[in-house]
Amino acid sequence: MDGSSFMEGLFISLEPMNILWIIIGGFLGTIVGMLPGLGPATAVAVLIPVTFGMEPVSAIILMAAIYYGAMYGGSRSSILINTPGDGSAIAATFDGYPMAQKGQAGEALAISAVASFIGGLIAVVGFIFLAEPLANFALEFGPAEYFLLMLLTLSAIVALSIGKMVKGFLAMMLGLTLSTIGIDTQTGVYRFTMGIPHLSEGIDFLIVIIGVYAIGEVLYNLLTIDQEKKEKKKVGKVWFTKEQWKRSKWPILRSGPIGFLIGVLPGAGGSIASMISYTTEKQISKKPEEFGEGAPEGLAAPESANNAASVGAMIPLLTMGIPGSGTTAVMLGALIMLGLRPGPLLFEQQPETAWALVNSMFIGNIALIIINILLVGLLVKILDTPAKVLYPIIVLLAFIGTYTLSYSTIDFFLLLIFGFFGLFLKVMDFPLAPLVLALIVGGEMEQNFRKALLSSDGSLDIFFSSGVSIVLVILTVVSLLYPLIFKFFKRRNLANKTDKISKSS
Amino acid sequence: MKAIKLSVPIFFILFSSVFLIASFNLPKASLGNPDAPIYFPAGLSIIMLIFSIIYLFQELKKLDKENKYIKQMLSGRTPKLIGFTILLGVIYAFVFDRIGFLYSTILYLGGLLFYINGIKKWLVNIIVTIAFSFLSWYAFSVLLGVSLP
Repeated sequence: MDGSSFMEGLFISLEPMNILWIIIGGFLGTIVGMLPGLGPATAVAVLIPVTFGMEPVSAIILMAAIYYGAMYGGSRSSILINTPGDGSAIAATFDGYPMAQKGQAGEALAISAVASFIGGLIAVVGFIFLAEPLANFALEFGPAEYFLLMLLTLSAIVALSIGKMVKGFLAMMLGLTLSTIGIDTQTGVYRFTMGIPHLSEGIDFLIVIIGVYAIGEVLYNLLTIDQEKKEKKKVGKVWFTKEQWKRSKWPILRSGPIGFLIGVLPGAGGSIASMISYTTEKQISKKPEEFGEGAPEGLAAPESANNAASVGAMIPLLTMGIPGSGTTAVMLGALIMLGLRPGPLLFEQQPETAWALVNSMFIGNIALIIINILLVGLLVKILDTPAKVLYPIIVLLAFIGTYTLSYSTIDFFLLLIFGFFGLFLKVMDFPLAPLVLALIVGGEMEQNFRKALLSSDGSLDIFFSSGVSIVLVILTVVSLLYPLIFKFFKRRNLANKTDKISKSS
Repeated sequence: MKAIKLSVPIFFILFSSVFLIASFNLPKASLGNPDAPIYFPAGLSIIMLIFSIIYLFQELKKLDKENKYIKQMLSGRTPKLIGFTILLGVIYAFVFDRIGFLYSTILYLGGLLFYINGIKKWLVNIIVTIAFSFLSWYAFSVLLGVSLP
C-alpha cells in the first residue's frame, strides 16, 4: 500500500464537506433502508440525483454512505416491526424481533449497531489489504479475461437465485439485449434504435435502475399497503448488558471476516453472508435452542456479516470495475454518469479517490453508530411515519432524479414503463439484480468479446489461452452447475434421512 | 390469473423473436467484418428464446398453482392504486414543462397522497405536499443547481 496516497485519501475524506456528505448519506440511507421492502439498491437509486454536480470523489463517498446506511437501517425495521428492509436484514428478524418482544428492543438495537460497526471496520481493514493487490492483478487482464470475468459475475448472480435460475437467465439476457441498443462503438452501426434519436446513445441504464428499483418497488409495496402493521415499540435505554456483550463479541468477530469474504465474491452478498454466519453460529453455539427465541449472538452474527459484506462487495467494483451485486451495479451506473470509471486503473491513476473512499468508510461507520444509538428516538419516530406518506415521496424523488439525467420529460414515460415492468417481474418472482447488472456491463462485455476475437482472428481459443482465463471458465461452469450440485446433495441428504427413519421404524 | 402468468413468458418469446429478426436485418458494418455488430445480439436473442420457451413450459406446468402476489395485485383497491399512480405519473409528465416544477409537483404529490393515504388525513397530506414540494425545489434548484422548469 502506498502510504502517501492513503494519507491523501484520509485528508480528502476528512474535508468538512465530505464528512457532511457521509453523515447525510448515512442518515438518508438509514431512513430508506428502514422502509419495509426497500433496501440499499433502492436507497442509492433514489438518491442518485443528489450526487449530480458533485465532485466524483464526494459522490462515491456519499453513495457508499447511503449503501451502508441502508444496511444499518434495514435491521432497524427487522428488530422493531419484524419487517426486513431487504434480504440481508432477514436474519436480523430471527432473534432481533423476539428480543424486542421480550422488552429488549433497546438492547437489540445497540447490539445490532455495534455488531454492524465492528463488522464494517473488520471489512475496511480487509479492504485495505486486498484491494490494491487485486487491482494490480486485474491490470494484467486482457479483453478475453475481462469478458470471462463479466460472464462469471453474471452466471454467479444467476446461479445464486436458486430455484429460479431460468428466470434469472431471462432477466440477464434481457439486460444484455437492452444494452445492445444504440450506436455500436466499434463500427458506428445504429442498432435497434427504430429511428428514434433519443435511443441512439442507448437506453440510459440509470432510468431503468430508478424505474425498476424505485417505482417498481413502490408499486410492489402498494400490494400490501393496506395491511400495514401498526406496531409501536417502546425503546428504552439503547445499550446492552455485560452478559449480552459476552455472548456477542466472538460471534461478531468471527462473522466479520466471513461476511467480508462472501461480499467480495461475485453474485454473493449481504443476504447470503448473514444467513451463513447465522447458521454457523447456531451450529457452534452451546445454546442452539435459544436461537430464534432472542439470543443476542443470533442477532450480532448476521449484523456483523452483512455490513462486512457490503464493504467487501465494493472491492470487485473498485478494483475491476465489475459490480458483484445489485447495489454496486447501481453505484457503478451513477459513477460512470459522473465520469469516474472504477477499475484497476483507478488505484494507479486516481489513488487518492480510492483511498478517500476507504477512509470515508471508517468515518461513515463511526457516524452511523452514533446516528443509530444516539438518534434512535428519532429513527423510531420516522419508522412510525406511515408508508402511505413515504412511498409517494419516493415516487416523486424518482421522477426528479430522472429529470436531472437529461432534462427531458420523455424519460418520465420510460421510467413508468420500466417501473411497471419491474412490478411484473417482482410479482412473477424474477430476480432483478441480473437484469440491472447485465444492462450495465453488457456494452463492455460485448466490446471485450469482440476485441478478444479480433486479436485471435476469430478463434475461440483466445478464451482458453491463459491460466487466468481457464480458471475463469472453470469457475463459470462450476457456478452454473452449483444449483444442480446443491439439489443433488439435498436429495441425498433427504434420501439418507428417509433411509434412517425407515430402518429405525 | 392464468392470463397474467402466461403473459410474461409470452412477452419474452415475442421480445426475443423480434430481437432475433431485427438482429439479422441490421445494416452491415463498413469497417472490418461486416457482420460483427450482428453476432452478439443475434446470439443473445437465440439463447433468450430458448430460455423463454423453457419458462413457458415451467409456467404451464404450474398454471393452476396460486400466486399470492398476483392475487394481491388484482384484489381490493390495489389495481386502482397501481393504475392511479401510473396515470398520475403520465399526467405529471405532460404538465411538468407547461406549468412548472412547483405547481405540477404540488398537484402530483397532493393527488397521490390524497388517493393513497385517504381524504380523512387531509391535514397531513396538505402539510407534506406543500413542505416536500418546496423542500425538493429548494434542494434541487438552489442547493444542487438543477435547472427546473
